Amino acid sequence: MEKVVIIRYAEIHLKGKNRGYFERVFAVNLEKSLKGIRHELHRTSGRWLVEKFEETRAEEIAERISKVFGVHSYSVGYLVGSSLEEIYAGAALIAPREGTFKVETHRAYKKYPLTSMELSAQIGGRLLHEFPALAVDVHRPQNTVYIDVRENGTALVFGSFEEGAGGMPVGTSGRGLLLISGGIDSPVAGYMMAKRGMTVELLHFHSYPYTNEGAKEKVVALAKILSQYSLVTELCTIRVTKIQEEIHAKCAAELNVTLLRRFMFRIAERFASENGLQCLITGESLGQVASQTIEGMTSSNAVVTLPVLRPLVGFDKDEIILRSKKIGAYDTSILPFEDCCTVFLPEHPAIKPKLAYIEEEESKLDVDALVEEALGTAERITF
Amino acid sequence: MIYLDNAATTRPDPEAFDRAQAYCSDHFYNPSARYGGGFAVASAVGEARENLLAKIADPGKFELIFTSGGTESDNQAVFSCARRGNAVTTAGEHAAVERPFSALKNRGVEPRFAPLNRDGSVNAEALLSLVDEKTSLVSVIHVNNETGAVNEIADLAKRVKRKNPRCVFHSDGVQAFGKIPFRLTSEIDLYSVSAHKIGGLKGTGALIKRKELTLSPYLYGGGQESGLRSGTENVFGLLDFAYAAEKKFAALERDAARIRLLREAFWASLDQKIFMRISPENGSPYILTASASGTRGEVLSRMLWDRGVVVGTGSACSSKHRFSRVIAACGYPENVLDGVLRISFSPQTTEQEAEKAAALMNEAAREFKEKL
Repeated sequence: MEKVVIIRYAEIHLKGKNRGYFERVFAVNLEKSLKGIRHELHRTSGRWLVEKFEETRAEEIAERISKVFGVHSYSVGYLVGSSLEEIYAGAALIAPREGTFKVETHRAYKKYPLTSMELSAQIGGRLLHEFPALAVDVHRPQNTVYIDVRENGTALVFGSFEEGAGGMPVGTSGRGLLLISGGIDSPVAGYMMAKRGMTVELLHFHSYPYTNEGAKEKVVALAKILSQYSLVTELCTIRVTKIQEEIHAKCAAELNVTLLRRFMFRIAERFASENGLQCLITGESLGQVASQTIEGMTSSNAVVTLPVLRPLVGFDKDEIILRSKKIGAYDTSILPFEDCCTVFLPEHPAIKPKLAYIEEEESKLDVDALVEEALGTAERITF
Repeated sequence: MIYLDNAATTRPDPEAFDRAQAYCSDHFYNPSARYGGGFAVASAVGEARENLLAKIADPGKFELIFTSGGTESDNQAVFSCARRGNAVTTAGEHAAVERPFSALKNRGVEPRFAPLNRDGSVNAEALLSLVDEKTSLVSVIHVNNETGAVNEIADLAKRVKRKNPRCVFHSDGVQAFGKIPFRLTSEIDLYSVSAHKIGGLKGTGALIKRKELTLSPYLYGGGQESGLRSGTENVFGLLDFAYAAEKKFAALERDAARIRLLREAFWASLDQKIFMRISPENGSPYILTASASGTRGEVLSRMLWDRGVVVGTGSACSSKHRFSRVIAACGYPENVLDGVLRISFSPQTTEQEAEKAAALMNEAAREFKEKL
């Protein structure tokens, strides 16, 4: 008898002729997520089995698997021989010690000497005998013991179906560039695109010495959390200090943020095209702050040709926070390191800036040179 | 690198470190052990205790408990002694006193905070007016860690005791011990000190207490430190502390006099059109706090780091906790609070370093100002 983790996948089966490709990417992703834990990964009919690991690490494996996109559900159970004795031994480990239960059997191996109903009844009967505090309830049991008889003389016994992360295997839906700040929103935006199978590369803007190393470390911490899902373990940082200073010195204060965002988009697009990335991703949500109005978004979009994906655009802050907590990023996101110095914050930012006005103010700057200089400050951090 | 953040921590004294090292190798025994090796270590610990205590107090009247540092000593003092009625302190305390005082509310003791003078010292009259017959503890920082202002604690303690002889008087002496000449008087009951501000190591400190005062332990266990602070002694740390203190006290007056001159020369070299002085002249010679109004101290400190000068700061870029609580309590407006820098010296600081650092500070602050 061996402890195993059973993985069932989500939308992959819908993908017709591309299924083989999707499955290969999925397997690679599962292997990446289990890096550092000795194991074997085997495919069986319609599912994957993680086998040959130290039993004490089962929970950890399950935890990691729960974050891999494309996983519909997973179970921790036992791989046993298909004899009644062996199946029972597994079931006895899984079964509750009190309360109501039922046994549910599925047979892929149709020549098994017992029918599914018979096998359930046999195992259930023995469990009742062994554990007197148990009672059978086939309609609304508190617990279920699942038996899955396979064709190769083995069976799987497990106690529950845990919900997986859903979505599609990362790497099957193109590659995008997430503009990641130290806040709550951008990691959630990255999570959502990764969930739909996109490879999400990371770009962070800082303005040292106006921002500090703590802020950068915080972004790395967030990137690490996101990497559990996105499997991307690299972050690029670019310094925009000079740009901020120039804007502050030469342009209308109320456009401070609007203009900086246009620079960020230009830099991001250049970075994306140099790295074969197909779109920009931001954590913007309509109306959340002064720069996230439709006018603000229009002004940023106007300087790039790549599509800009804003998966949170229709979410309330509460909804974003809920997702941030779910992915485990929230506590890090709210650490008190600012990614912008109060020196540069205008008292009254423009909420609905007109494009002509923005362009006029921007014309006071040597845009190309500033973009070029910023790109030269790129640093890659691998974690 | 010119290191001028000695009020945050000091470079460990290499000689003290070397001397103490034997207690990490040959003499590694547990001082509580009842065999030769243990007794030898216990005797070295005892000697360190006596030597440290003798630097600042009459060993006949006071005793010294080793702790993990200033914060533990302060917490021990506050929570042991503020048990009923009210407890009085100043608005200029280090967080290690301010936070415990704020927490007293939940223990049914009313915390009272006396306002500060412009230089960061406590307003003595206001402090005394807060003391009444229900006051169980008064705690006054000896040298304000953000401005260097010195509170005359011997005098304050005497006046407090005149008003309420039963209350306990504590002082956080972390920035004073080994830096300004001082001996504990009989009205001072408790005094916190720390090793790493005078060339010792982080994680070591002491609480000095008047012998007759009874404290309740914070940590129970093997009964070390006369039962007041259980836990196997940090032998290496506390010996290193004693050795570092020995050197520091031997040269205390000479160092203080030289550093006072150095500080004034430093101040004179700063561009007075940019910097505004917050530290008083008669404060601790080791601290010079000034503000480049309108800039951000935190940003300036990083600009200086990049130029090879390390200074402390009393402000942050973040919108939360942007200003120093203590400097704000001195009554300065926001633009001054924003630009606060704390330059803190050590006996190792040379005149050349000070001169160079002042020039670089002027340069960085001018550059910053131009960008605003």
